[in-house]
Amino acid sequence: MLTIGKVAERAQVTADSIRFYEREGLIRPAGKSESGYRLYTEEAIRRIEFIKQAQECGFSLADIRELLELRSTDSACCDDIYRVSVEKKLQLEHKIKALTAMSQALTRLIDMCSHDRKSLDECPILGALEAGVAKQGGKAPKAQLKMGAKSK
Amino acid sequence: MKILIEVFSAPGCAKCAQTRQALKSVAEELGKERFVWREVNVLQEIDYAVQLGVLAPPSLAIDGKLVFAALPTPDRLRTELAKRLERAGSRSAR
Repeated sequence: MLTIGKVAERAQVTADSIRFYEREGLIRPAGKSESGYRLYTEEAIRRIEFIKQAQECGFSLADIRELLELRSTDSACCDDIYRVSVEKKLQLEHKIKALTAMSQALTRLIDMCSHDRKSLDECPILGALEAGVAKQGGKAPKAQLKMGAKSK
Repeated sequence: MKILIEVFSAPGCAKCAQTRQALKSVAEELGKERFVWREVNVLQEIDYAVQLGVLAPPSLAIDGKLVFAALPTPDRLRTELAKRLERAGSRSAR
């Protein structure tokens, strides 16, 4: 049996992380020592490695809980894991699409700035945000026109 | 104009295949010539799936819009398709 410190060292995580995983129901100590310390088996290290790997693939703790449950369910099969993975990939692709749109909106705003060091009242970026130009990709606001900002 | 039905799924799901077949039969009953049936592998067309808002396959889109986030029962699909055929019929009658 292994103490929390040993598990942390072997799995290369902190003891706090292990306690956190435990609170989240992802791992459980196999028992307690006479003095009340948590004790774990080698399985805890394998589970922590699994959790770390899954987190790197974008799985949330709730997803990981589901994957771990499936892993220990006799009736589950690879189709179940496959389904969860496909759904996660789709979610990630949705996020990438949203982030790309945000990045493009920021590019439009950045392009509006002429670096003229005018007052904030005339800031084209603030003006565009107020006018919703970044979202629409439409024409420049008054402030930008006043400052004669570059157009691309 | 034909109505486009697209079923988004991940390959290898036997349960999906059964349901898909039952749904395809519904479209065929209503008139094979009135529909275009397309089976979309989400992994091969992930950009298109994301564009339509598919989050958890299997899902079903009609005319480029996600109508059923989860596969409907054959009865629900029949109702939806009948409604669309009726609408298309009244449009062409005008």
